[in-house]
Amino acid sequence: MPSEHRLHPFSILFSILKQFGALAVPMLLLIVGMGTDQDRWQGYAVVFIVPYALFSVMRYVTFRYRYDDNELVIRQGFIFRNQRHVPYDRIQNIDAIQNVLHRLLNVVEVRVQTGGGSEPEATLSVLAIGDLEEMRRRVFGSAGVTARGQGAVAVERADGETADDANAPAPAAPPARSSRTLLRLTPRDLVLYGIVENRGLIVIAAAFGLAWELASMSNVVERFLGEQASRSALRSAARMIFVDGGPSIAAAAWLVVGLAAFLIVSRVFSIGWAMVRLHGFHVQHSGDDLRTEYGLLTRIVQTIPRRRIQTVTVRQTPLHRWWRLASIRVSTAGGKEGEGGTGRREWFAPVIRADEVDGVLAVIAPGADLAAFDWQPLHPRAARRAFRRNLVVAGILQVLAVALLGRLAWLAAPVLVAWALQTARWFAAHTGWATTPDHVAFRTGTIVRAVTVAPLVRIQSASLNESPFDRRTGMARVYADTAGSDGGGYAINVPYLPREVASTLQQRLSAAAANTAFQW
Amino acid sequence: MESAIPTIVDGEVRRLDPRYVELQKRVGWITTGVLGALCGIGLPISMFIVRPTLLGFVLALTGVVAVLGLLAWWMQRWPALEYARASYRVDQAGLEIRRGVYWRQVINVPRSRVQHTDVSQGPFERQYGLGTLAIHTAGTEHARVELPGLPHEVALAIRDHLLPRNLIDAI
Repeated sequence: MPSEHRLHPFSILFSILKQFGALAVPMLLLIVGMGTDQDRWQGYAVVFIVPYALFSVMRYVTFRYRYDDNELVIRQGFIFRNQRHVPYDRIQNIDAIQNVLHRLLNVVEVRVQTGGGSEPEATLSVLAIGDLEEMRRRVFGSAGVTARGQGAVAVERADGETADDANAPAPAAPPARSSRTLLRLTPRDLVLYGIVENRGLIVIAAAFGLAWELASMSNVVERFLGEQASRSALRSAARMIFVDGGPSIAAAAWLVVGLAAFLIVSRVFSIGWAMVRLHGFHVQHSGDDLRTEYGLLTRIVQTIPRRRIQTVTVRQTPLHRWWRLASIRVSTAGGKEGEGGTGRREWFAPVIRADEVDGVLAVIAPGADLAAFDWQPLHPRAARRAFRRNLVVAGILQVLAVALLGRLAWLAAPVLVAWALQTARWFAAHTGWATTPDHVAFRTGTIVRAVTVAPLVRIQSASLNESPFDRRTGMARVYADTAGSDGGGYAINVPYLPREVASTLQQRLSAAAANTAFQW
Repeated sequence: MESAIPTIVDGEVRRLDPRYVELQKRVGWITTGVLGALCGIGLPISMFIVRPTLLGFVLALTGVVAVLGLLAWWMQRWPALEYARASYRVDQAGLEIRRGVYWRQVINVPRSRVQHTDVSQGPFERQYGLGTLAIHTAGTEHARVELPGLPHEVALAIRDHLLPRNLIDAI
């Protein structure tokens, strides 16, 4: 019987702090509302803190985990006991999160992700650093050997080095494997990232949220920014623009200056956010593992085994293209990217020089050469359909604008039509698909463009969909379901294909999936 | 295992069981009946509260009856439309399902990607000898693909055919 492990004793502290975080605002409100009555203050402190402290201690006492031969076993619970078995070869990745306090105390919060659902399969808060290393070694070391054992039907033929690494004699051996840096972001890269991806709004929104919470307590909002005030401000602005024969030059200038200032400030915030959040971002490639580390205050370490990558997306905004940059995102089964909350994971490569993309792809999507894809177009009438679709959107916007701002809003109509036409053209020109013997690729976008690549072995099922509009125009949409598609646009989902082409593609994808074995 | 039901895994396009139309029509009548009963209770109560004129009362009554009638008609008509557009095909590679009246879909679930399968029977399905086959893959959008309206023994046969086999299954 393998021995059982406990969490680090500091778990109690972090558990209490976490409960505090959720309750901080209601507690503050209560305390402020109560005034300065000392006795009550302490009374509430007791009411709030003592149960959580007890709960945290119980949680620490009852939480055990152990490493069995093939699985991680976690036992927890006092009244309702729960024993969870997580097989090593189902574990997609192990994320480690360290905020400032974690780092001061030399402990780490560990999240174990498997293929199922978006929640982490297990969160171990908190472990000592050494325990995390042991977990990585046990879980991924053993999984590598299992994968090699099944190598007879395996897929990753393009990479000889995987097999070499998996050949390492014993899973218990320390990871003496050579590692190389796949990607490292310099401060200059982070500045570029901050400019290209406008994350400043996050900071501004957070600041607003905080200000709102503070202000609402002292009724400042009602006084200065109340509904009445903001409504009349909007009305006077609208009157100035549409009734008084257009805005004066001074007002227009102020508006432009204000907008420019907002853009500059938000970009500065964005750069600051990037410098803190992504400080020291680097991806280490050792054996089959890709290890990403970043963060100035909260230090995050993610380990993704390369064979668990489901799809890879390379994305470029106009600024990216201008500076010859790109960003790369990977999806693994489970643990969706791009979700809110502290568990949110960053892009695999938040920013990367365009000429380095191929080198990274060679590692994370072996055999997928972006330049070698033979891109196939959509239906010849796809642009026309996209234009019609955009016109509907433009029409709705126009009606809304007229309803809100009055008849002068009709002046925007030509702009909207031009927008509908141009984005439809871009869409048709930049959307396409390609297949190789091992991969299927889909590119799309109007202003922001993305290429998504999925190995055929990662496809779970393929479907062909026809809407009534599709049938009228002889088109169809093909969707390839993978374990890692996260719903948010970057899946293999090819619209507006000629019906026959779509049918062939769907048959081809499902046949490719049927003839190979899927590996987690 | 496959020799027991040699006829299912032949790549032929098959319709659903026609009894499924009857079943859905019956569900339609029940739904309409329950809604009708609710309206029968709700309408007098609301009339009592609002106290409309005679004209208002007649209008409200006509409206409710019209909506219920339309619903009943639709729920009797829809199952046949759906039935006409639904088919499935089982071969060595896996299962192909076609369905949809206005929005049509062809979905292929390869046998090598099936994680597990369920065959379920509700009370009405038991009465008609029908079953619903549900196939789970590791995917996301199509993580669960359902095929209702099969004869129960056919659902079981397809399930047996799709069951993950250790031979090619690397998990």
